[in-house]
Amino acid sequence: MSTREIMSDSENVEQAPNEHELSTEADLARAYEGDDDDDEDAEPITAQKVLEILETAWTNEMFAPELLQHQSDMLELMMSQVAHMEEQMKDLDKNDFRYVVHQMELERIRYIMASYLRCRLQKIEAFTQYIINQDATYDAADKRLSPEEAKYAQEFATNVDEYFSKVATRYMPNQQRGEAEQRIVAPNLMSHVFLKANVAVSGVIVGVDDEEVDLTPGSQHIIPYQLVADLIQKNQAKLI
Amino acid sequence: MDPSIIEFIGEKSMISIIPNFSNEPLHLVYGSVGPFRAGFPVFVPLWLATHLRKQQKCRIVPPEWMELETLEEIKEEEKRSKFFTKMPCEHYMVVAQLVMSTAPDDVPRCEELRTIIKDIFDIRESKLRTSIDAFIKGEGTYAKLDNLTLLEIHSVRPILPYSLDHIARYQRMATASQRDTSMLGLNTTGSASGTGSMSNSLFTQ
Amino acid sequence: MSRSNRMFGDNAFNLLKDLQRSSQTIPAFDDDGVRQVLEEIKAIFEENVAQASNYNSSADRSLWPLLNYRHAALQRNKRCLLAYLYERMQRIKAMRWEFGPIIPNDIKPALCEPEVQFFNNYSKSLAAYMRSVGDGQGIDLTGNLRPPKSLYIEVRCVENYGKFELDDGEVVHLRKNSQHYLPRAQVEPLVRQGILQHIT
Repeated sequence: MSTREIMSDSENVEQAPNEHELSTEADLARAYEGDDDDDEDAEPITAQKVLEILETAWTNEMFAPELLQHQSDMLELMMSQVAHMEEQMKDLDKNDFRYVVHQMELERIRYIMASYLRCRLQKIEAFTQYIINQDATYDAADKRLSPEEAKYAQEFATNVDEYFSKVATRYMPNQQRGEAEQRIVAPNLMSHVFLKANVAVSGVIVGVDDEEVDLTPGSQHIIPYQLVADLIQKNQAKLI
Repeated sequence: MDPSIIEFIGEKSMISIIPNFSNEPLHLVYGSVGPFRAGFPVFVPLWLATHLRKQQKCRIVPPEWMELETLEEIKEEEKRSKFFTKMPCEHYMVVAQLVMSTAPDDVPRCEELRTIIKDIFDIRESKLRTSIDAFIKGEGTYAKLDNLTLLEIHSVRPILPYSLDHIARYQRMATASQRDTSMLGLNTTGSASGTGSMSNSLFTQ
Repeated sequence: MSRSNRMFGDNAFNLLKDLQRSSQTIPAFDDDGVRQVLEEIKAIFEENVAQASNYNSSADRSLWPLLNYRHAALQRNKRCLLAYLYERMQRIKAMRWEFGPIIPNDIKPALCEPEVQFFNNYSKSLAAYMRSVGDGQGIDLTGNLRPPKSLYIEVRCVENYGKFELDDGEVVHLRKNSQHYLPRAQVEPLVRQGILQHIT
């Protein structure tokens, strides 16, 4: 086969780190360890792997009806990498072959990061109160919102409430407690999604009558999101 | 989703080019490419191949499957098979479209290829429509979609998940309104104290 | 319109219809319409409160359908009104992404004071968020809106803009009808503002 996918499912995990002329592996590994002071044996991670994780997070986020877990660490690493490469390239001639190609790649990476974060903001704005309530029940490690997003969500909720109140709700009689709750918009978790299995998963329930199916690696399915949400979370499958 | 995103994702496919310049390897975040030696084939991502081709710095080597005989076989197989056959490349439409529009001169019998690839796509699309029709009429909520490519999945995205979501919503509403009606019946025939508490929740401030 | 032809909820429904019909980015805030709906809500509510106590004491079952009907009308009014505000809010948000942190002069009169306040808060909050991403490294999410096709794009200048400095220090003069081959990322904001036009 003459074409191949660079972004792979799982086989690239074992791949030897590739070298970087503009930013070394060591830089990135240090950046990663610096981020996790308490974790002495944080494994070094390649820029390629970080990008892969972000790309998967991006496509999953685009197709999942609900907000998925944030990827602040990966995002921060990639932003540093991009900034570092830009710094290194400052001295290159703008018409240099290397300059142009690296810039093109950085444009692609910047697009993925921006599109990913925009997609999350859209969900945060659409399901604000639902997401805030949901996150309140999760442990710190499992929060869907990054700290920055949590702050944004809270500000947005307050802002919307103020606007609605000033223009309308405070003039409405009969404001029962239930009414504000009725206005909470929740994502439709049973909406159908396209799924591709990364690994073999057995006994996935695919219907209301508890019908079970074994997923083979690479197999594709259409299925209500809620039935496979945990597979996405565990990276056993991805949305397409 | 915007089709340009499908193209963006497909542009990561690797493709062979023959550069007319020489250069050291480039260490991209995606992985290294090169070294580039004038006259020798090298694999690069499609986005880089089309860029270099536009700058006339390379010739694109069409992938093996972009060849009339192979595609004829694929087409026949697709017609014969009840299911979707496995395409030689996960992004066959994007790759074909980009290569043939950027470098028609690099692809022998380009026009014929264009037609046959379109034929294959159409056969698959009509198969897809038939199966969707059967699927929805069969009131299913789950289906296996092996070998469908991203673009094909995208082509049914406006219809398939949304119509299923709507059907599910109507079903939920039907169940809910049945419940409402029975609740109302209960309340109107209920005792005075029962209706009293109901009016409380409805009308008090 | 004579009172006999009107139904509960007409005003509220009209708010939404007018908003949907309008071809403007954001039509003027319908002060009168909103006030009328709020008044109708209040009137319906008061009628129902009066009759509910009547209903409770007299056990006159024939009032039940009327009370229910009014309550449904009241809920519908609320729902339409909130939908009207929500839809305007969406458009006000979109404006921030399209035009940046300042409300364009031709749109400003269309907004009511709470809406202006909403826009300003939204704008500030979004900017603060974008600055804080990646442990303070910051990212501009209003750029890179489409998948990159090429680093450079051909643009034609729609109006006289003057000097424009590129990231590498090069200065180009953007004069009306002049054509340029410029880095896509840097000119995207000008294209969105309609100063430059992308030619393919």
